[in-house]
Amino acid sequence: MFGLASNPLYHHSKPLFNKLPIVFSVFLLPLIAAAHLGLTPGGFVNDYAGILTAEQKQMLEAKLTQFEKETGSEIAVAIIPDLQGSTIEKFAVELFEDWKIGQADKDNGVLLLVAIAERKLRIEVGYGLEGALTDAQSFWIIKNSITPRFKEGDYYQGINGGLDKIIAAAKGEYVPAEPTAGRIAGLYETLGFFVWVFFFLFIYIGSLLARSKSWWGGGVVGGILAALLGLIVGFVYAGLIALAVLVPLGLLFDFLVSRSYIRGVARGRVPWWIGGRGWGGGSGSSFGGFGGGSSGGGGSSGSW
Amino acid sequence: MSKTTKIILAVGAVLVLWVWFSYNGFIGLNESADNQWAQVETQYQRRFDLIPNLVATVQGIANQERQVFTALAEARTRYAGARTVEDKVKAANQVETALARLLVIVENYPQLRSAESFQQLMVQLEGAENRISVERGRFNDQVKELNVKVKKFPGNLIASLFGFKERTYFQAAAGAETPPPVNF
Repeated sequence: MFGLASNPLYHHSKPLFNKLPIVFSVFLLPLIAAAHLGLTPGGFVNDYAGILTAEQKQMLEAKLTQFEKETGSEIAVAIIPDLQGSTIEKFAVELFEDWKIGQADKDNGVLLLVAIAERKLRIEVGYGLEGALTDAQSFWIIKNSITPRFKEGDYYQGINGGLDKIIAAAKGEYVPAEPTAGRIAGLYETLGFFVWVFFFLFIYIGSLLARSKSWWGGGVVGGILAALLGLIVGFVYAGLIALAVLVPLGLLFDFLVSRSYIRGVARGRVPWWIGGRGWGGGSGSSFGGFGGGSSGGGGSSGSW
Repeated sequence: MSKTTKIILAVGAVLVLWVWFSYNGFIGLNESADNQWAQVETQYQRRFDLIPNLVATVQGIANQERQVFTALAEARTRYAGARTVEDKVKAANQVETALARLLVIVENYPQLRSAESFQQLMVQLEGAENRISVERGRFNDQVKELNVKVKKFPGNLIASLFGFKERTYFQAAAGAETPPPVNF
């Protein structure tokens, strides 16, 4: 990400010199941490095993997008080559936790997980849909609509038929309180924007402070931040607390970046984050991510 | 104000802030663990609610297997009477063992296994078991977070000062991590 690893400076520099990029990468962790299973959703339908054709995937995606627009509920499909030694129940719960399918306040998500090597599948139901899509219903959907097709090797028809039944069941209970389509994605984009602004500002100020060589500039920046925070929160004590925390932090930050800069100059190599070179941004995708829902092991599993 | 007083005041302020935030952190962690335990109990209840139906269905065909039914009933009563988390876990594990035995017995009655109402019950039971194991795992995660904080320096200072204690992990009965298989 951000060309950090591909930067020659990063590879050839001494360990001490490396510490700051590591500190910075800590700020990136929330952006990367979303995928501890190593699976990042690229849409509602995620075929990691490569068993669906592009058109089939497109059709399922369209169906689920439409359903999400109508009801606000999110159904995710994940087809994985194997379970990586886990059980289908565990994998489903962890993937659900990872992706946070469904809206955060309604938990109206469903995950259809298919593991090809183990010939196992599971419908994992979010808390909010447990009443509409019961364990027994999930079981019958798997048994009657999905596994017969899977046994014939027709994965697309199985998934398609299963999704129709899941949609029908989910519609039975959940009525959208308000038109919600796009709202969650919008919120996420705004949040993401602020993260980026913060990140670039952080780097920019870091490079300024590093070059200034003074040690007090960071304290001033910390103080300004604290004052702003106090104003935003509108609470004197909060401002004072922020002041007590941010001024020393700012000083420490300035001290670290300045030291690193001086050392860098002494060695004839200026760290990448001061150097002002440009890096490529994150890849753009039309899929806004899932809404933040959670599940607690509801649903049913099957095999074919 | 002399320079030393200023420094002492500053250090004091930082200390107070630190105590404040760590104390609140412990309160928050304890609350989350309690909340997660409540989730586990909810799922236990789901399982218990299924048992009378299950027993009624099985009893109709396998009436001679009295021992199991008695064991199940006993374990349920014990759970109802349990007050502490430890007692509840113990009683719940007994229910689990008795249920597992019941399921083994059912294997001997093909006419029961093929009945749709029984299949439905088994699916529900499987769902309840899976939910229990999920919520139980999350409870243990919460407890772990708390225990690490209680034990690690400098959190242990605050913990001993205000009496925050380590909590016990949920120990499941052996073999209870995986939900009972449903085979038709």
